[in-house]
Amino acid sequence: MVDYNAMTLDIRAKAKAMLENKEVKYIIGWERGANSFISRPVIIRDAGDTDRLVWNPGCVDNLTRYLVEEMQYKPKRGEEPDLSPVGIIVKPCDSKSIVELIKENIVPRERVKIIAVTNIGTVETNKLRKILQKIPQDKRAGIDILQDDNEFTIKYEGGELKVPRPELLANKCETCVTHNPVIHDVVIGDKIEGFEKDEWADVAELENMSPEERWKFWEAQISKCVRCYACRDSCSLCYCAECVFDKEKPFTWIDKTVDVSNNMFYHLVRAMHLAGRCVDCGECERVCPVNIPIRKLNRLLLKSAKDRYRIYPGMNPEDKPMFGSYDIADPDEVV
Amino acid sequence: MTDDNFEPKIIGFLCNWCSYTGADLAGVSRIQYPSNIRIIKVMCSGRVNPQFVLKAFQEGADGVLVSGCHPGDCHYIEGNYHARRKLTMLSDILEFTGIEPERFQMSWVSASEGKKFAEIVTAFTEQVKELGPQKKLAGGEK
Repeated sequence: MVDYNAMTLDIRAKAKAMLENKEVKYIIGWERGANSFISRPVIIRDAGDTDRLVWNPGCVDNLTRYLVEEMQYKPKRGEEPDLSPVGIIVKPCDSKSIVELIKENIVPRERVKIIAVTNIGTVETNKLRKILQKIPQDKRAGIDILQDDNEFTIKYEGGELKVPRPELLANKCETCVTHNPVIHDVVIGDKIEGFEKDEWADVAELENMSPEERWKFWEAQISKCVRCYACRDSCSLCYCAECVFDKEKPFTWIDKTVDVSNNMFYHLVRAMHLAGRCVDCGECERVCPVNIPIRKLNRLLLKSAKDRYRIYPGMNPEDKPMFGSYDIADPDEVV
Repeated sequence: MTDDNFEPKIIGFLCNWCSYTGADLAGVSRIQYPSNIRIIKVMCSGRVNPQFVLKAFQEGADGVLVSGCHPGDCHYIEGNYHARRKLTMLSDILEFTGIEPERFQMSWVSASEGKKFAEIVTAFTEQVKELGPQKKLAGGEK
């Protein structure tokens, strides 16, 4: 059983020390959410407030997006830029985002203090909503979610509910192979070993279909898209000052019309812009209001990059970017 | 339109230094090749953004050909190596989403290969003709 309580206390102590020693100007973390089981992002500026920080399987957000906003902040006229470091609490998957941001010179390494937790998996909010139906409404206030290798335990007022792991585990965690942070200043929690998985099971499932079936699948999924651009806005690597889809001069790349043609263009271009960069943190899929399996597109390119060029983003800030480098010996399928 | 007289629209992005000159040579040498290809000159195959290819499909192209200098011959030393990585990935994702990757082709044509250019265009036109009109990515009335 993962001891979330001890880890939370550990995080609070580390955060408090950092703020008291003025190592960081603030800490980005999670606090208990209004509905108690899904945690929400919080920015802690005062050492006295660190008791608000929590760590549990409901800490689903990738907080590195807030780090990008901080780094891209343009001081107002007359304002002195504050370049002191920022503290951030990350899961192993989010720590890969930071590696990628350092690699792309968005986040200078010295401007971030990383408190990394080890993690065996977070919950899927959609799945959780269904499971909560089993708990009486008036008893949902003080829910705690715990987890061990095989099952989740939902503790509520006057009872507990055991749920097998696959029924509540986030989709991204099912194929995750990074359970320990790849970059950190402080690690919270024990090193996790022994979670061997078929990393590409979900991609292979689609690859085994015929091209027509694949198109039917994607046409059905993509036609649901309302183009709210939440997948772009939540992505820590979509940080362009002016996004190509917002660009209106000299012409628009994409119509405002929501149809398969435009939606497909959007999703393919989005995936291509993240090729060799996407670390599969799963935010795009999590925030999608119509549940499009967007991650599959990113993961296909992740797999291609690994198979063809032996490039796997988010592991080492010293690695070369895929589209910014080349190898004369790359496979050549050109006529 | 019946399949028999379907004439595909093909967009060709040719690099200024090799492929475009190669196409020019094909013309000057009076080598016959299908007129289905509409050529757009770019300075380097590395200039071809995957967006260009997708936009062409969206605007109703049935096939897209990208052609550049042979590896090692790029006027800008490395442009075609970058193009190769980008466009191979694009080809992968087209296949993954069920859009026929046969509609998209890359080729290396040098300035002296007028004959090769004509052969590639002929073969590619045949290939796209067999697939029929491209409807998956094409937008509404344009």
